[in-house]
Amino acid sequence: MTQLVQAIVLGLLIGGVYALMASGLTLIFGVMDVINVAQGALLIFAAFLTWWFWKEAGIDPLLGVLITTPIMFVVGWLLYRGAIQWISGRPASTSVLLTFALALVIEGVMGIVWSTTSHATTPGYFASSYRLGDFYFPKAQVYGCFIALGVLVALYALLRYTWLGRAIRAVSENVSSARLVGVNPRKVSALTFSIGVATTGAGGAIVSVLYPFIPGSHYVWISRLLGIIVLGGMGSLPGAVVGALAMGVSETLTTVYISPRWATMVPYVVIIVVLLARPQGIMGVKLREDVVV
Amino acid sequence: MVSRVGRMVALLVAALLAVAAAGCGGGGGGGTSGTGTAGGKPIKIGASLPLTGDFSEPGVAAQQGYEIWRELVNKKGGLLGRPVQIVVKDDGSDQNTVVTDYNALIQQNKVDLLLGTFSSLLNLPASAVAERNRMLYVEPAGGSPEMFSRGFKHLFFAQQATAPHQADLFVQWASGLPADQKPKTAAYVPADDPFGGPVAEGIQKGLEAAGVQTVYSEVYPPETKNFDAIASAIAAKKPDLIAQGSAGLEDGVNLDRSLIKVGYSPKQFFQASSPSFADQFSNAIGLQNTEGIFYAVSYHVDAPTPGNKEFLDAYRAKYKTDPPEDAADAYAAAEVLEAAVKGVGSIDDQDALADWLHGNQVDTILGTLSWDETGAPQQAFLLAQWQKGNEEIVLPKESSTSDTIVNPKPAWSK
Repeated sequence: MTQLVQAIVLGLLIGGVYALMASGLTLIFGVMDVINVAQGALLIFAAFLTWWFWKEAGIDPLLGVLITTPIMFVVGWLLYRGAIQWISGRPASTSVLLTFALALVIEGVMGIVWSTTSHATTPGYFASSYRLGDFYFPKAQVYGCFIALGVLVALYALLRYTWLGRAIRAVSENVSSARLVGVNPRKVSALTFSIGVATTGAGGAIVSVLYPFIPGSHYVWISRLLGIIVLGGMGSLPGAVVGALAMGVSETLTTVYISPRWATMVPYVVIIVVLLARPQGIMGVKLREDVVV
Repeated sequence: MVSRVGRMVALLVAALLAVAAAGCGGGGGGGTSGTGTAGGKPIKIGASLPLTGDFSEPGVAAQQGYEIWRELVNKKGGLLGRPVQIVVKDDGSDQNTVVTDYNALIQQNKVDLLLGTFSSLLNLPASAVAERNRMLYVEPAGGSPEMFSRGFKHLFFAQQATAPHQADLFVQWASGLPADQKPKTAAYVPADDPFGGPVAEGIQKGLEAAGVQTVYSEVYPPETKNFDAIASAIAAKKPDLIAQGSAGLEDGVNLDRSLIKVGYSPKQFFQASSPSFADQFSNAIGLQNTEGIFYAVSYHVDAPTPGNKEFLDAYRAKYKTDPPEDAADAYAAAEVLEAAVKGVGSIDDQDALADWLHGNQVDTILGTLSWDETGAPQQAFLLAQWQKGNEEIVLPKESSTSDTIVNPKPAWSK
């Protein structure tokens, strides 16, 4: 019983970290129809920035979020103006090709700047845990969950209660109508993409503390993150949270009770089963274009 | 309408693209590298390496090893009096790309000789291309038993032993401990990898034969990042000994971190690859946590092996640091190729080069190497252990750099 509860706790904690990383990806898709395959590379880029500030200036990786987030916002804006805006209105598959190319470029740049050797930030809490009776709670994951909560609540509040949020939702629902009521879709898209990329500032900080990373580490992350947002419903923020927690818990339970060999496969089996029953994902919304062939 | 700012940003991105494309060649070392001081038509040697992707770290190190060898050979007048060029392609750690690369090296670049790539995963398909083209294939890092079960005539592995025998000295040592210190139970953590898996299986087979009970043995997928659940399951079994088989740095570091978090430290701990990554390993888990961790290694900077000083001086001069094991292994592979070419006295007959290696021993910076008819080496790895923040060779005695073996492993420091 102890082991079951511990496994679920570990699953929820790593799921919380996954949710933080998936939030920007789902926001960008939900508003812009852009599948940002470069999100994993941007996550690792933010991890390198975090490492750099920690190493050179002694800034704690989690405090470093306050610096890396605005930097990643600017990176997102530059990428939008330099590349993404050119494919606005094109099918989502075009964005896959373009952002995959961007991911390769970012990987190459990271290799030049920081080399391909492994990097890791190791603040005092990187491998320590809180203990409660027989249970343990890895500190880095706990902090990651709190940051995830903060970022997700901030994103939700932004979308729900601000003029920008209303504009973003308007553009995601109907670009032409949004334009009619005075919303500039290009500006809104640039801001949305930049905000989505800015979330990697926090995600990258947690990645840098949890695991060593190299420029090529982004492949593993992007496949997992895409799985999470497909499971939760592409474009849905609450869906990303539910998908991430489901992914985390199913991975952990499979590792402990079936075999680690199945741990990376079972979540995808869960995804297939969910998609058979709900093609739009757990919390996704069915659109007209999904049913009209 | 696109503003002027937009155009400037586009230009900036295009410039970055160009810079990165140059970087994808491997930090300036990609493509064809120079010919040095020797004269005549250059001998072109081709290799594909994982300069990007999952194995980029050892891939770049291997490229450095090849590069140092090329420079030293050319300084000494080249190979058979001809300058040496090395053409390196980046396979992105991808099995399909590595096949394309070696085909292109042979058919388009028309290279005279080949050198291998990094990891069993990539060498498996790459060596098949070489064999089909009847070209000698000396590889620096691919010890999976699968490599040598295909009856290839042109394949040679330039390290001391294959994966199942990597930890032979560790198994002998643990089996021979006095009864009160000998492990009674063990947990095995093999990666689903053609190298890592057989290492752990080899240890398990040896220790089970010595009466050590297996309490945990589960294969994990190589893309596993989070080892918390695995560490938690292992800790629940309380094994005396843990042995992990994996390729590269990350898996070992991630398992260590998860064991530290759960607060479980075994009495004996062997890891196949990670601890050999020097300060990258100690930085990632904390220097104080490295104490007592065992690993097998093919190379040590202080080894009194033939040519090691020359290699070390050249490497330190060029890269301002000590060479990682993968750079040394690549250098040794090139030394093996060089010995075969010099032994035969020509590069025209690749069968003759392979026959020469089957019939002779070669002195390398890893020691003297020889091979059986499948190309599997016949020597033994060194057993190393982290002690007081340093990497020490503890067995065999004649090569050891430390008189003591830390046993049992102390608890994690946090």
